[in-house]
Amino acid sequence: MGKYLFFKGCTIPAKLPNVERLALEVLPEIGIELIEEEAFSCCPDPVQLQGANHRFWLATAARNLAIAEEKGLNIMTLCNGCLNTLAIANHRLKENEELRDAINKILSDIGKEFKGTIEVKHLLQILKEDIKLDSLKNKIRKPLTGLKIAGHPGCHLLMPDEILNFDDPTDPVIYDEFIEALGATAVDYLSKIDCCGVSLALVGNKEGNNKAIHTKIADVKSAGAQILSTGCPFCFTQFDMGQITASREYADLKENRIPILYSVELIALAMGRSLDDIGYKTHKIKPALSI
Amino acid sequence: MEVIRIKYDKDDIIRKSEEVEVCFKCSACSLFCPVTLNVSKYDIENAFIAQLFNAEESIALKDVWMCCVCEKCLMICPQNADPSEVFNNLKQLSYSKGLAPASVYGLAKQVLKTGIAYDIGAKLNADRKKQNLRELTPNENVIKELNIIAEKTDLKTEAD
Repeated sequence: MGKYLFFKGCTIPAKLPNVERLALEVLPEIGIELIEEEAFSCCPDPVQLQGANHRFWLATAARNLAIAEEKGLNIMTLCNGCLNTLAIANHRLKENEELRDAINKILSDIGKEFKGTIEVKHLLQILKEDIKLDSLKNKIRKPLTGLKIAGHPGCHLLMPDEILNFDDPTDPVIYDEFIEALGATAVDYLSKIDCCGVSLALVGNKEGNNKAIHTKIADVKSAGAQILSTGCPFCFTQFDMGQITASREYADLKENRIPILYSVELIALAMGRSLDDIGYKTHKIKPALSI
Repeated sequence: MEVIRIKYDKDDIIRKSEEVEVCFKCSACSLFCPVTLNVSKYDIENAFIAQLFNAEESIALKDVWMCCVCEKCLMICPQNADPSEVFNNLKQLSYSKGLAPASVYGLAKQVLKTGIAYDIGAKLNADRKKQNLRELTPNENVIKELNIIAEKTDLKTEAD
């Protein structure tokens, strides 16, 4: 069994605790052993805090990486934002000695050092590279046969591709392969690589944010999907809560709403859990589903 | 063809992001940019990325925070101009000048207070309890270390 240090981030423990519980409960059943770590902080986020102060962002990410290095374990994250920050920081600090020395000078004041000895991986990357999707297929107990699911990989899972380097950012396939490995049918749709719009929400641009949500949901519906799935907590909240807020501007979002299922929730269903078990009732959009 | 004009801190921006100089404003990036696609003040002819450099400083350094660093511009750019790196630098300029949205200063302050991006309140822990997860409590050692990093990197937490 592969052992990883579980980087929970901020949004999953604070806003989607059912996803944290399911990861700890279900991922060991498919060969992913997770070790919890109390000393991690916010990653910090690549959109706002990277922009605010690049050195603080990089040094804080390096502190988190140094903690994993002390434990001698690779990091697993369930959040695209955490993946993006930690993988970029890890890459830049490994490659650039001058930068590494400058950041280690800051870390020396807290008794830590970045050495560059571990890797950072998103759950989907672990499923592809370490567990292997064919092997996942053999491990599941209750294939999600008949379910039509559209995948939303999310921007920060795909770019920068020269660093993340496990899917094609212009025509991503991993999320669809993951859906198919669970026995469901992956549904392709026009705006698959489009952004969820969260940065527009963060700056209070409701008009742009609503349009991003509407485009995605309308495309998913017209492609015939019953469910939209993602492995990023920001994208999840955008589409779950967002369908309700955007429906004030787009009337077609008032009916036939699309339920959003987190990657780990799909795995839990395929491992025999019920909708009640996965915490479906904590979702904002929760139409009846026959699973 | 129109070249990009930068109305503010031009030398500083180009020194930090030399890649921007090779942009010839073909607007390929606007076909994929989520800001151009979704925000009505921008469109294919007035693309977010190109317009941001032409805008007055007060507008540019406010709107730059719409960029989610999805790097679709970088993916498509025939010149490898890397607009997202320029935007990261513009965000830093905006933040240091006190022009970032209040929520960004609030986020920095929050991380230094609890170690995570959220306040740790009763509702949050009640929701965790329902999932049989232990309560979150601020980790004093984490907070202390983050505050030392903030001091060493001159992280502002107020606009002024």
